[in-house]
Amino acid sequence: MAIKTILIIEDDRFIGEMYVRSLKKAGYEVDWMVDGNDGLIAARNKPYDLMLLDVMLPERRGSEILQILKGGAENLIPATKVIVLTNFDQSEQARQIMEEHADGYLIKAEITPKKLLAVIEKLDRAA
Amino acid sequence: MAVNIPSEAELVNRFWPRYKRLTLLRAIGVQVIVSLLGISIILALFPHPRLDAWIIIAIYITISTVLSLAVTFMAMKPVKELSNALVHISGEPSSQIPPNINDSYFVRSRLQPLLKLIYAMATSQSGSTSATSTDPDTTPRTDVAAHLNHTATGVVMLDSAGQILFANKSAPISIDANGKRSLDLIFDVDPTIEQWVAERREHDIHAEKTWRRIANKITGEPNRRLFDVYASYEKGSEAEVIITLFDHTNDYQPEDDDLDFIAFAAHELRGPITVIRGYLDALNDELADSTSGDERELFQRLIVSANRLSGYVNNILNASRFDRRHLKIHLSETKVADIYATIADDMTLRAQAQQRLLSVSLPEGLPTVAADKSSMSEVFGNLIDNAIKYSNDGGSIEVTATTSGDFVDVSVTDYGIGMPSNVLGNLFHKFYRSHRSRETVAGTGIGLYISKAIVESNGGKISVRSVEGHGSTFTISLPIYATVSDKLAASGANNQAFLERSSSGWIKNHGAFRG
Repeated sequence: MAIKTILIIEDDRFIGEMYVRSLKKAGYEVDWMVDGNDGLIAARNKPYDLMLLDVMLPERRGSEILQILKGGAENLIPATKVIVLTNFDQSEQARQIMEEHADGYLIKAEITPKKLLAVIEKLDRAA
Repeated sequence: MAVNIPSEAELVNRFWPRYKRLTLLRAIGVQVIVSLLGISIILALFPHPRLDAWIIIAIYITISTVLSLAVTFMAMKPVKELSNALVHISGEPSSQIPPNINDSYFVRSRLQPLLKLIYAMATSQSGSTSATSTDPDTTPRTDVAAHLNHTATGVVMLDSAGQILFANKSAPISIDANGKRSLDLIFDVDPTIEQWVAERREHDIHAEKTWRRIANKITGEPNRRLFDVYASYEKGSEAEVIITLFDHTNDYQPEDDDLDFIAFAAHELRGPITVIRGYLDALNDELADSTSGDERELFQRLIVSANRLSGYVNNILNASRFDRRHLKIHLSETKVADIYATIADDMTLRAQAQQRLLSVSLPEGLPTVAADKSSMSEVFGNLIDNAIKYSNDGGSIEVTATTSGDFVDVSVTDYGIGMPSNVLGNLFHKFYRSHRSRETVAGTGIGLYISKAIVESNGGKISVRSVEGHGSTFTISLPIYATVSDKLAASGANNQAFLERSSSGWIKNHGAFRG
């Protein structure tokens, strides 16, 4: 399965625009949502190949979104891979809970768009 | 009749003085009445007695009074001794010595069995609580349960199948859709209570263990409580595991709030760093053809500075975690060269931007080490960063590795300003910076402190050799994986899970920031 469509849920305008810019340049179809509620709705309405999920979001935390989509009895977005992208230093427990339902967990400040593209390609190859 | 106030009337030790007083008054009263009656009779029969007769009457009255008082005292003595014994076992204050059961008086008077009975009753009464609670038929279970709901300490009892037999109100319990109750705690340490109980069933008859700082919810959720958890295990007991939970939220929460402050501050700092690093990286590629002169070099300096900034934020987070014993390290089998590879580009760029010659020679044949790759790469970065800082333009920096016993030694050598021997001892202390470097070189003094913490948490050692004016060599010794693999395999679920996930291509870059 090749990754083509990507949903970004990110409230920082500069960071969001930066990812959109580089992912579009690389040829992906990208939708970007700024708040947690809109992000959750978008994720349920369209089967994206990949979701880039921030944690500290307005309206709904990323952890909550992930729990709703992947943590219930049924995986609501089985076709969508998830990379958690955060700058927030979560507690050990909170991170472990998110990691269980995600395919990756990255600190944004440690990764440039170029490296993010490399990670997505790696994820694509592993699938 | 004198009316005593109720509290006094209820005291055991009030009986004897009052009884003694009343009995003596009665005895003397009876004596006086009998004497007056006798004199009246004599006067009626012999209206004018002689002086001799008066003397005989007086002597008679005196003797009979003395005798009757003596008899009264003798009659009162058993009462005195019995009440004394009762005062003694009641626990009330008393100036009397408790009656000695072997005193010859008690033997003669046959009072001994009575005293024995009193003392025996006292002993059996004090032991009665434990006697009833071991007998399941007479346990007032509902009463005890009701009483336990009035304490802030949580009490949970598990049967031998691990089901909750009893939990009081203060215990953190969750109930699922089927009505099954379970202990609502997040054990972020090995062993968890489930693992511990499972182990005890295998190996022990009786065991106890304490966990500190166990939370019922993850950080940031409302009504989060933090407990010290004490568990005792008794094989064969109906309640096989008894868990006591002491709520220390008030003690632990402020520390967590401090931690939150640093986490939030780091979050704020990392936002702009993300954008700066991201666009620098992008623009560096996109503008490659249009930059000229020193613009390329200036670009590199921007990139290096942004990278260092993000490294410092990580140092602050790690130091904060380490100081609060929250720094967690997840060891796995890795190569020194692979650790270095994660920061190689960054280090090359840094050295280049600051005109240092960085030479890295990590031999192919080195054994693998047990290390937390992500945090260890930060240590490498800190040491190389220091080597750059404390050396001169054009100076060379060497990164080498050799095997030494059960360890792989990784060394970072510079030929810079070096340090006098008297500062070496303080070098790894927090915020320590040598006198001279304070004036000439920027820095926080936190890099070596957290590096030592990380290396030692990895089971390694860090050391330094230095000659003033000639340079320094920092050496990290990391355990060879084969020498610790047994211990690692046995060290529990967290490490195991980490190993499995890493090998399946799981992606993460945050290994050092263990909360």
